Amino acid sequence: MTYSHIPIATLITAFLVLAPIYEYIGYRKKDLRYDRLAKSMVFFVMILYSPGAALGTGIPMFIIGLWPEFWSRWSNLFFWPLIVQFALFIMDVICLFFFYYLLWDRWQTRKRLHIFFGVLTALFGLAIQAVWDSLGGYMTTPSVEFPMVNEPVGWSAAAFFNPSFFPLFFHRFFGNISYTMLLMGGVFALKYWRQKDEAEKAYFGFAADLTFTIGFLSFFAMPFVGWFFAKIMQQHAPVAFHALMGGHTAPHFIIKMGLVALMVLLGGGYLFSRHKAKTILAAMTVGVASLYIVLHMHPPLHWLPGGDFVWRAFYTVVLVAVIGCFWYFSRRSAPIRERWKWAMFIAGMAASFAFIMGGFVRERSRQPYNVYKQLVKVEVLPREADRFLMYDKCIGCHHRSLNDITRFTVEDWDRRIEIERMRPGANISEEEAERIIRYLKEYHP
Amino acid sequence: MNIEFPILGAKWAIGALALFHTSVASLAIGFALVVTVLEITGYRTRDRAYDYMANRIQLVHVCVYNIGTINAIGLVFALSGLFPQFWSQIFVQFYWSLIVEEFLFFLLATTLTFHYFFWDRVWGHKKLHIFLGALLTPLFFLQFYIINGVGGFMLTPGYGEAEASLRIGILGWDRMGFYNPSFLMLTLHRTLANFAYGGFGAAAICGIGLYFTGSDTRKRMYELGGRLAFMVGFASFLSLPVVGYFYAHVLQGHAHQAFVNLMWGHDDVVAGGVDWWWVKHVLVAGMLGMCFTYFRRISNEKMPFSIPAVMVYSIVLFYLVFYVAMGMVMTWFFFWAMVTCGVGGALLCHHLLSYHQGSPRAVFLVVGILSFLTVMLGGYAREAARPRFVDRIAHYDHVFVPEERQPYLMVPVDPAEIPPAPVRPELTGPQALIRMKCIGCHTLDRVKRYEPGNWRLIVEQMVAYGLKLTPEQRETIIAHLEAGEPY
Repeated sequence: MTYSHIPIATLITAFLVLAPIYEYIGYRKKDLRYDRLAKSMVFFVMILYSPGAALGTGIPMFIIGLWPEFWSRWSNLFFWPLIVQFALFIMDVICLFFFYYLLWDRWQTRKRLHIFFGVLTALFGLAIQAVWDSLGGYMTTPSVEFPMVNEPVGWSAAAFFNPSFFPLFFHRFFGNISYTMLLMGGVFALKYWRQKDEAEKAYFGFAADLTFTIGFLSFFAMPFVGWFFAKIMQQHAPVAFHALMGGHTAPHFIIKMGLVALMVLLGGGYLFSRHKAKTILAAMTVGVASLYIVLHMHPPLHWLPGGDFVWRAFYTVVLVAVIGCFWYFSRRSAPIRERWKWAMFIAGMAASFAFIMGGFVRERSRQPYNVYKQLVKVEVLPREADRFLMYDKCIGCHHRSLNDITRFTVEDWDRRIEIERMRPGANISEEEAERIIRYLKEYHP
Repeated sequence: MNIEFPILGAKWAIGALALFHTSVASLAIGFALVVTVLEITGYRTRDRAYDYMANRIQLVHVCVYNIGTINAIGLVFALSGLFPQFWSQIFVQFYWSLIVEEFLFFLLATTLTFHYFFWDRVWGHKKLHIFLGALLTPLFFLQFYIINGVGGFMLTPGYGEAEASLRIGILGWDRMGFYNPSFLMLTLHRTLANFAYGGFGAAAICGIGLYFTGSDTRKRMYELGGRLAFMVGFASFLSLPVVGYFYAHVLQGHAHQAFVNLMWGHDDVVAGGVDWWWVKHVLVAGMLGMCFTYFRRISNEKMPFSIPAVMVYSIVLFYLVFYVAMGMVMTWFFFWAMVTCGVGGALLCHHLLSYHQGSPRAVFLVVGILSFLTVMLGGYAREAARPRFVDRIAHYDHVFVPEERQPYLMVPVDPAEIPPAPVRPELTGPQALIRMKCIGCHTLDRVKRYEPGNWRLIVEQMVAYGLKLTPEQRETIIAHLEAGEPY
C-alpha cells in the first residue's frame, strides 16, 4: 500500500511545487511554453489525485488491522499533527481544485492571483509532507518514549521535531523534485521522438531538456542532505545506520546506488553534451564530484581485494574518469535527441526506482521494529530479533566493519563471544550471548 | 484517560466530521446516478445539452469526491485518537470488510478520474464511456453497502449474534455482525436518500447555473438537465417513507432505546432545546409541498420530465400514510408546524415559479438546500439516538469485548471496566415453546397486547390461522399464559 501511495503522493507534491514556478517564468518571459508545461503537470496531478488519496486512505486501514498497537500508540502521540495534516489536506484540495486547476483559463488576465494560489497549494502540499516526514522520522529516531494509549499525549514537540525530521524532509524534497523531473524529461524525450508536427516537436524538445536538466541538477543536493541524514542516523539509530551501510539492508542500498550511478552516467552524458553554458557545466561537475561523499562514507565493499585503500583509490579514479568523459562530451557538438531518447528515459526510470529503493531501505533498516528500539513488529521472527541484538551489541566497537565476522567460522563463535563479553563496556548478558551465538552460528557459519 | 477535543468534545468532533463526510459522500453517490441518467439521455436523444450537463455535474462530482476522500482520512485519524477502543473493536470484527471497501474506494477513484478527465478523448467510444460512468453507481453501492454493515452493527448489533461471532473467535470478518438486523433497511434507506439528495443537488447546481448564465443555449442546457435531475431526486424522495417505516420497525425491535429516543425526542436527539429529528421532518414537509406544487404546475404546462398530477397526488397520500404509521409522537405543535411548512412550501414554490416566469431556478436551489439539511439532520438524529458511549467504550445492547479478545484491542481495557452484557438465561419449558411458536408470525410485543382473560380463544384462533400445536403443547401454552408467567 505504502509503495503504491508514496510514488503518487511525491509526484503530486513535486509537480505542485514546480508548476507555479514554471508558470511564473512563463508569465515573466511571456513564453507560453512554460504555461503549457505547468498546466500539463497540474492536469496530470488532477488525474493522480483521487487514486492517490484513495490509496492513502487504505494505509491506516491496513495498519489498524495488522499493527493495532502501533497505530493506536502512534496516533495517540501524534493526534494533533494528524488532525492538522487533515486540515491542510482539505485546504490543499480546495486550492488545487477550485482555484488553481478550474480557474486556469478564466484567470489568464489575473495571472499573479492564479500563481499565488498555485504557490499556496504547493505550500500546503509541503506542509503535509513535513508532517508525514516528522511522523515517519520518529519511527527511526524516536526522541521520546513511545507512549501507551492510556497515557494520552496528542502532541509532543520533542517527538515531532525528532532528530531525523529535517534531514528526512529535505532529502525527500530534493528526491521528489529530482526523480519526477528526470522521469518527466525521459517521457518528454520519447514524446519528442514520436511527434510528427514540427511545432509540437519543438515544444517537447524544450520540455524534455528543461525538466531533465532541473531533475539532474536538483539530484546533487541529495548527497549533501543524505550525508547529514546518515550522520543523524549514525548517532540516534546506530543499528539502523549499520543495517544500511553494511548490514542486512546494504545489498539493497548498493542496488540503489547502482541505479543512481546509471542515472548519473546516462543523464550526465546527455546533459554535458547538450549544455554549453559554463555555469551549468560547472554546477553539474560539482554535483557529480559530490558523489564522492556518498562513496566515501559507504563502507560495505571492504571485501574488495586490498581493503579500504584499493576501494577508495578505485572510486576516486572512476569518478575523475567519469568527470573527464563528461567534459570531453561537452566539447563535442550537441547530440541528436532521437539518439538519446532511450538513454534519457532509462535515466528517468533509474531515478524513480532509486527513489523507491531509498524509501524501502530506510524503512527496512530498523527491522524488526515499528519504532526503533521501542515497539517490535508483531510478526517479528526470532532471527530478526537476534540479528538486531547482535548489531546492537557489536557495532559499538565494530562500527566500521562488522563484516569482520566473516573471518570466523561456526566453531569460533562460542569462544569469540565469551572473549568479547569480557571487554570493558560490552554489557552482554548470558541470555543475550546465547542469542547472539545462536544467530551467528546459523547465519554466519 | 483519553485525548480531549477542545470546545467541541470528542463526540461532537467525530459527529462534525462524520456529517461533513456524509454530506459530500452521499452527494457523490447521487451524482453518479444523475450523471449516468443525463449521459444516457443525451446519447439516446442526440441532444448535447444533456451531455454538457452530465460533464458539468461530473466535474463538481470529482471535486466533491476528493474532498470526501480527504475527509474520510480525517475521520479515521480522529476516531483512532479519540475512540481508540471502539475503533479497534470495529477492526477486530470487520477488518476484511473494510479492506474490501478500501479496494472498492480505489477502483471508484480510478474509474471516476478516467470517466471525467477523458470525457472528450473517448468521444468516439461513447458507449464505453457511458458504461464507465454507469459502473460508478454499483461500485458506490458496494462500498457503502459495507459501510452500512458496520454502521448498522453499531446501532443494532442483534440479539446475541455479535456475542456468538466473538465467542467463536472470528477475527476480521464477523458475518453475523455484518448482516445485522438494520443492515438491509439502512442500506435501502440510504440508497434512496442518496439518490434523492444527489438528484436535488444536481438540480440545485443547474439552478445556480441558470442564475449566472446569460447564454440561451446554456440556459436550455441547465433547465433540461435540472428538470431531469429533479425528477430523479423526487422519485427517490417519495420512496423514502416506505423504507423508513420498515427501518423504524426494525429499530423498534432491535434498538428499542434508540427508537424511543428518536420518536419521543429523548437523549442527544434534542440538542439546544430543539428536537432535530422533528426539525428534519418539518423540512421534509416543506420539500414535499414544494415538489408537489412544482410537478402539478409543470404537468399542467406540459413541460418535459413531468409526472402526471394524479400520480403525484396518490404518491403524496401514500407518503403521508407511511409517515404517520412510522411511530413518531405527534404533538399538536409538531402537527401544525408540518402543515404550515408543507403549505408554506407549496405557496413559496408557486411564488418562485411565477416570479421567474416559470423558470425553476429558485425552486431547484431551495429544494437542494432543504435536501442537504434533511440529510444532515437525518444522519445526526440516527447517530444521536444511539445511547452515549460510556467512557468511550462502545457498548450498546449486546456489544461487548470478551476477555480473550482483549489482546487484539488497541487499548488495554480492564475487562472489569466493560459494562457486562445482559445475561440471557437459557429458556426452557413453556417459555421456549411460546417463543418458538409465536414469533414465526409476529413479535412477542403482540402477545403482550392481547386481553389476559381470553388466552384459550386466542390460541384457538392462532391454530385456526395455521399454527401447528399438539394438544399437549396447546394446553401448556394456555396454562402458562393464563397464570401470567413471563415469556
